[in-house]
Amino acid sequence: MRINSKLIKAAAGFAALVCSSAAHAQLNVFACEPEYASLAKSLAPDADVYSATTAMQDPHQVQARPSLIAKMRQADLVVCAGADLEIGWLPMLQMKASNRKVRSTDEGLFYAAEHTQTLDQLDNVDRSMGDVHAKGNPHLHFDPNKMLEVAEGLSAKLIQLDPQNKTQYETAFTRFSEQWQAKIPQWQAQAETLKGKKVIAYHSSFRYLFQWTGIEQVADLEPKPGLAPTSSHLATLLARAEKGDIMAIIVASYQDERGANWLGERANLPVLTLPMSVGGNEQSTDLISLYDNVLVLLNGVQ
Amino acid sequence: MSVLKTPLSLVAIACAFAPIIVMAEDSSLTNPNISAVLDGYYQTGDRGLDGRGEGFGLGETELAISANIDDLFYGKMTAILAVHDDETEVELEEAFIQTMGLGAGFDIRAGRFLSDVGYLNNQHPHSDAFVDRPGAYRAFMGGHYFDDGVRLTYVAPTELFWTMGVEVFKGNKMRAAEEHEEHEEHDDHSMEEEHAERDYKTIGVYSAFTKLGGDIGVSSSWQLGLSYLRNENGMGFIEEEGGHEPHIEAEDDHSGHNHNAAFTGENTYIADFVFKWAPDGNYKYQHLTLSGEYFRVTDIFSFEEHEHDHDILSTEKSDDYHQGWYVSSVYQFSPNWSAGLRYGEVDTHEAHGDHLDSQKLKETELSLAWHHSHFSTVRLQYTNQKGTNFDGFEDDNIITLQYVMTLGAHGAHQF
Repeated sequence: MRINSKLIKAAAGFAALVCSSAAHAQLNVFACEPEYASLAKSLAPDADVYSATTAMQDPHQVQARPSLIAKMRQADLVVCAGADLEIGWLPMLQMKASNRKVRSTDEGLFYAAEHTQTLDQLDNVDRSMGDVHAKGNPHLHFDPNKMLEVAEGLSAKLIQLDPQNKTQYETAFTRFSEQWQAKIPQWQAQAETLKGKKVIAYHSSFRYLFQWTGIEQVADLEPKPGLAPTSSHLATLLARAEKGDIMAIIVASYQDERGANWLGERANLPVLTLPMSVGGNEQSTDLISLYDNVLVLLNGVQ
Repeated sequence: MSVLKTPLSLVAIACAFAPIIVMAEDSSLTNPNISAVLDGYYQTGDRGLDGRGEGFGLGETELAISANIDDLFYGKMTAILAVHDDETEVELEEAFIQTMGLGAGFDIRAGRFLSDVGYLNNQHPHSDAFVDRPGAYRAFMGGHYFDDGVRLTYVAPTELFWTMGVEVFKGNKMRAAEEHEEHEEHDDHSMEEEHAERDYKTIGVYSAFTKLGGDIGVSSSWQLGLSYLRNENGMGFIEEEGGHEPHIEAEDDHSGHNHNAAFTGENTYIADFVFKWAPDGNYKYQHLTLSGEYFRVTDIFSFEEHEHDHDILSTEKSDDYHQGWYVSSVYQFSPNWSAGLRYGEVDTHEAHGDHLDSQKLKETELSLAWHHSHFSTVRLQYTNQKGTNFDGFEDDNIITLQYVMTLGAHGAHQF
């Protein structure tokens, strides 16, 4: 009898411990890319945020590796770019992680692309076009206005999942929004001198950045989206570069610079590696410093 | 066309089941995912253990449809068209439903699906870096083991990836080769039947597996697996009495598309590992995959001594076992090129009269693949197979030129 009652007490104590720790548990956020990890950290400062990828990794090609399954198993919220950017690995993680909470965008799944208007949506997609996304370009984190819309959506999602801490999330969003909106005119002023400048870039990684700064990407190092630069394609780019109106060749931090360097040497053009996301270089420690740094780097090559 | 109709009607059925539940918002081209895999080759020789044959040929042409059925179920079907001796055979390789999170880390898969034992078995062959599966898979798993059954999996809520699963299968493909005994006088019917026609168990295969995995820094990832497969019908019986020659049917006659295991036993133990590395963890340009598996198949035969064809006087289990292993290294050195080296051995036993003959097959393979895109691969492979007492294979050098291409939605790959 004594043993039994002890057992019961122990079990009750354990249950209480589990329940109470669950009630006070931090929200576990799994972000597909570092820009959304950073955004989640700003909007939910107490949350435990994990980024599945770094700015040095191509988010199109990520392994559905064991560590990510383990992380997703414990996630309360999964935040991704969406628009099929993660189509090659996210569905596999969802299937393997056996975590019902993050299955649907009605619950703990959040796609940034569903909270703003993506560029370059296509009615018809054919594989001969390369690795394109029918739902538009998913690299939308370089448009400050779109990012603010995404932040608003993400804040609402946090409140939906954790209504007890509503006021905290609202406060965090207000602070983020104020800082961000104070920065936008500053960034626009910095981007003024870049308007109309022509660049050759790799993939459509900086489509949104170029769109709001007014930079024109006149050619792509990739012959087709997702395909690596070929020598014949680089030769045509060299011919294009010789017109003399190109400001720079731009690659993202996870992209191979060899093609760009080859072209840069021959066309006598500067090659600029921009951080694709937070952590893409030393200066980019959060979204605001990422934008600051990218604009400084772009202005530096003029 | 009948092949095309079947998947479509399956989707129709799937849709019919989900009218009450709100359909997934995503109604784009990618839902349901429809994909096909085209695989063709030219090879300069025959490979052992039901590998590809000499000349021009097609591998498995695959047609797959998959989608989330509703917010709880996912479904997939894969039809395989295989051509053998001018005959096209259609086989259903996958037709399963799976729950998408039952809660507490549990999930169930039911229907026909690939067993999750070992490392390669659950991977789709078209993503392999070599033309054929390693010899161990061709010997013990029929290339890749899929069957009708149920699987229960659990993923632990730990920082280290830890999953466990149990499976139950029909197991027909894993049955030991049947004895073919001429019936003599049928005076004692009950015993007679048991001997003449083996009484196979209807639930033939049980399996249990566990996998652990994680990252080492930002560049490397690993996974280890241990599996056990119990095959109730896996033991072969060799009779030692009677006026006639004890006889076991040839393991398989190498005609027709065959997914049956060539060598079986009651207990199979598998240990597997995989290690992947990419600079900064960026898989776009370069990455390395090292993997290996070891199979041990025990309780493969037992000798039965009979009296007057009927009563079993004694049963003696053979201590012999089958084993097989391989190690593989594949390096993708640019987005367009990858090279692989694989070595594997298979040690098996075949019944000959009243004793077992041991045999051995060693395979050394070197492959070079060109990937025009993520969806198209052309592969040149050199294989050296050395056999000892192995279906007449002694020392062959074989060259294979193969293409593997995928059309349509390209499913996410496993680690």
